[in-house]
Amino acid sequence: MSFRKPSVLPGFGLTFGFTTFFLSAIVLLPLAALVLAAASMHWSEFVAVVSSPRALGSYRLSFGASALAASINLVFGFIIAWTLVRYEFPGRKLIDALIDMPFALPTAVSGIALTTVFARHGWIGRYLEPLGVQVAYTWLGVTLALTLISMPFSVRAMQPALLELQRELEEAAETLGAGRLYTFRRIILPTVLPALLTGFTLSFARAVGEYGSVIFIAGNLPMKTEITPLLIVIHLEQFDYRGAAALGVVMLLLSFVVLLTINLLQAWNRRRHVQAAH
Amino acid sequence: MSISLEQVTKHYGGVPVVNDVSLDIADGEFFVLLGPSGSGKSTLLRAIAGLIAVDHGRISLHGRDVTHVAARKRGVGLVFQNYALFRHMTVADNIEFALRVRHMRARRRRERRKELLRLVALEGMDDRLPAQLSGGQQQRVAVARALAHKPEVLLLDEPFGALDAKIREELRRTIREVQRELGITTVLVTHDQGEAFAMADRIGIMNLGRLLEIGAPHDLYSRPATRFVATFLGAANLFLARQGGDGIQVGAARIATHEQSAEPREHEVVAVVRPEEVTVAATPAELGGGFVAQGVVDEMVFSGALERLRLRLENGGGAPLLATADAAAPPYLEVTRTQHEQRSFELHPGQSVAIGVRRVHVLPTPLSSFAACAASAPDAETLARQPLLTELAARMKTRIAVRCEPQLGMEQAGRGGAAAFVGATVIASEPGAAQRAAWLLQRGAREVLVLPAQAAVPHRVLIHWLGEAARAATLAVSESVLRHVPAEAVYAGIPPQGAADVAPELARRLAEAPAQLLIVGVTDLARFAERFSPLLDGGRWPVLVVHRATS
Repeated sequence: MSFRKPSVLPGFGLTFGFTTFFLSAIVLLPLAALVLAAASMHWSEFVAVVSSPRALGSYRLSFGASALAASINLVFGFIIAWTLVRYEFPGRKLIDALIDMPFALPTAVSGIALTTVFARHGWIGRYLEPLGVQVAYTWLGVTLALTLISMPFSVRAMQPALLELQRELEEAAETLGAGRLYTFRRIILPTVLPALLTGFTLSFARAVGEYGSVIFIAGNLPMKTEITPLLIVIHLEQFDYRGAAALGVVMLLLSFVVLLTINLLQAWNRRRHVQAAH
Repeated sequence: MSISLEQVTKHYGGVPVVNDVSLDIADGEFFVLLGPSGSGKSTLLRAIAGLIAVDHGRISLHGRDVTHVAARKRGVGLVFQNYALFRHMTVADNIEFALRVRHMRARRRRERRKELLRLVALEGMDDRLPAQLSGGQQQRVAVARALAHKPEVLLLDEPFGALDAKIREELRRTIREVQRELGITTVLVTHDQGEAFAMADRIGIMNLGRLLEIGAPHDLYSRPATRFVATFLGAANLFLARQGGDGIQVGAARIATHEQSAEPREHEVVAVVRPEEVTVAATPAELGGGFVAQGVVDEMVFSGALERLRLRLENGGGAPLLATADAAAPPYLEVTRTQHEQRSFELHPGQSVAIGVRRVHVLPTPLSSFAACAASAPDAETLARQPLLTELAARMKTRIAVRCEPQLGMEQAGRGGAAAFVGATVIASEPGAAQRAAWLLQRGAREVLVLPAQAAVPHRVLIHWLGEAARAATLAVSESVLRHVPAEAVYAGIPPQGAADVAPELARRLAEAPAQLLIVGVTDLARFAERFSPLLDGGRWPVLVVHRATS
């Protein structure tokens, strides 16, 4: 193998073999099965399933709410990560540990908890109701659930980058006459941008695939609060495996396009900063 | 004055990191702040830059009080050890950063950038990214960036720390040239004395948050005032010597000195002998004067132009040599010899030689050494192992002698006969201590330290004197102590009507907070034991009594 490089740890052949085997068996094979299942449909039938108004509505909600959730996490995840990295306060370790809670909680539990709080007579819902804001059983509730379960991904992606961010950079900018906002915009943000994008990507990917927490708070009204994964489950319950597979393929493609775009954006950004560094 | 600091103090977690620093730096001066890591020099630099708010004191730049002015409005340029370049920006954008902030037009920005790149010898590098430059080049960019907005003051925080020796040398020269060309007032922080010597107009030496001494490199090297500066700035051998009216006695040598002593009576002093001022020969006669003692060659190291020797003095040679860098190791004498000296008298390890000195510098430090004194030898030895005392002695790089005085504190004891008390005499704080202190002071002891068994390194030093004659000496002793402990100094002012009860009042103040040391100057020994009994007899705090008789 010409791309082999000497390394401290031996066994490149073996590890490379494991890598390809695991990727194939766990990721590529099931995906291929999915595509195959959908491929057994007739083209017109496939189009009819994936472009039905109900399906289109579910894509809009799934991807729209996920993008919104990832965006919210981009801002608040950054603020949380910044607070945890930059400040020393009592209970910091505790909050740091709390960040991971949505990881560990079964998503159905998160959904039930959110519904309890935001339903019409819930702790917060009862105060929102008179204001005309309804969270549970609307797209707001879906976004809220997706924000909750994808939050740790953005915080954890940003934390290391903020830890590495040298304080001297800000100090240098300050002595050169820059105000706080200018320093943030021109120095901090560009420096941590790759980590922000990674955080956004991970959050978005997690949110798109989410099912458990959403079904409790969404109310699942066709065209309004029905996410694509739920629509897939509905097809499955009607033993329409091929219809489910068809929707799955569309989700797969859409997700792939979004993730690829973000990754390319990152690579371009990286190249721009260290072009021909070597 | 370009930079003026007045009593600048900064605490971190109750510990003073910068302690009462006052300093004036002239226009166009290249000033180097030199000190070991943790001495507070970087903190002080950041305080000047405005990145750290000071707890106390004033900072002025060009006559403008900037103590409460934000860093970006102070008009300073700061260069960091790790360059701190903006890595996502080109060299051009980095240098123009300060100009963009000030909304300068593109054409004028470009002109200024070209000028700066020429200044730091990086023409044509405009479009590179920091990652494409070597460490030395990156630091040049950082210097150019810091100068872009024409700051009135340039601050350099260990700018050469991350560079290898050759690049360092080059960059040093560049920075010195740039500084001369622009005539900009510059402060450089470093722990490298070679760097300080090479670049500074004046050096300020810091330790434990205090600015110990300021002076031109040559003056500081040849006439240091403190033990710390003597040993930190180049190698130094410290001797306990005796100074009288007609010279200094170091071992067997009596060396004439031009440095006048304030004290006509013969007394103990700390003498500095630089390694290059030591001579060696086969016999005392061949030395041509200045014979101190016999010694044995312990170790020889060849280091290019100079030969470095370690010599061990034979049975002290009557000249107590103080431990150098490492207090635990037995003291040895450091000697350097030129090639010429090596050729005229070749040495090998184990050889016995006669040692002489050419030049001796006496430190004006009032606390030369300690002597633990008690009525019985075991008690004196126990006292000599007291943690605070050993800590102080180690920090002051001096020794603790053990002295047994069987008649200590007995009133009927005669006054003559006993050997003179040299250095600070230490006694235990216990009932009767005031009586013993009086006994010692009456017999010529000039400083008596009364020490409880449990005493911590003080955070606060309380200073008070009774009688003007003791004022100068008390301040000198306090200064000497404060150079070695990171404590704040407080003058204990006592209203006149309370003067009769000075001791109880001082005891009350000592009881207010833990970890305090009292330094009290006295002139009059009448009824001393009775007056100071509340302070000294079994007190829980260390008290240093300084006695100077009214002349």
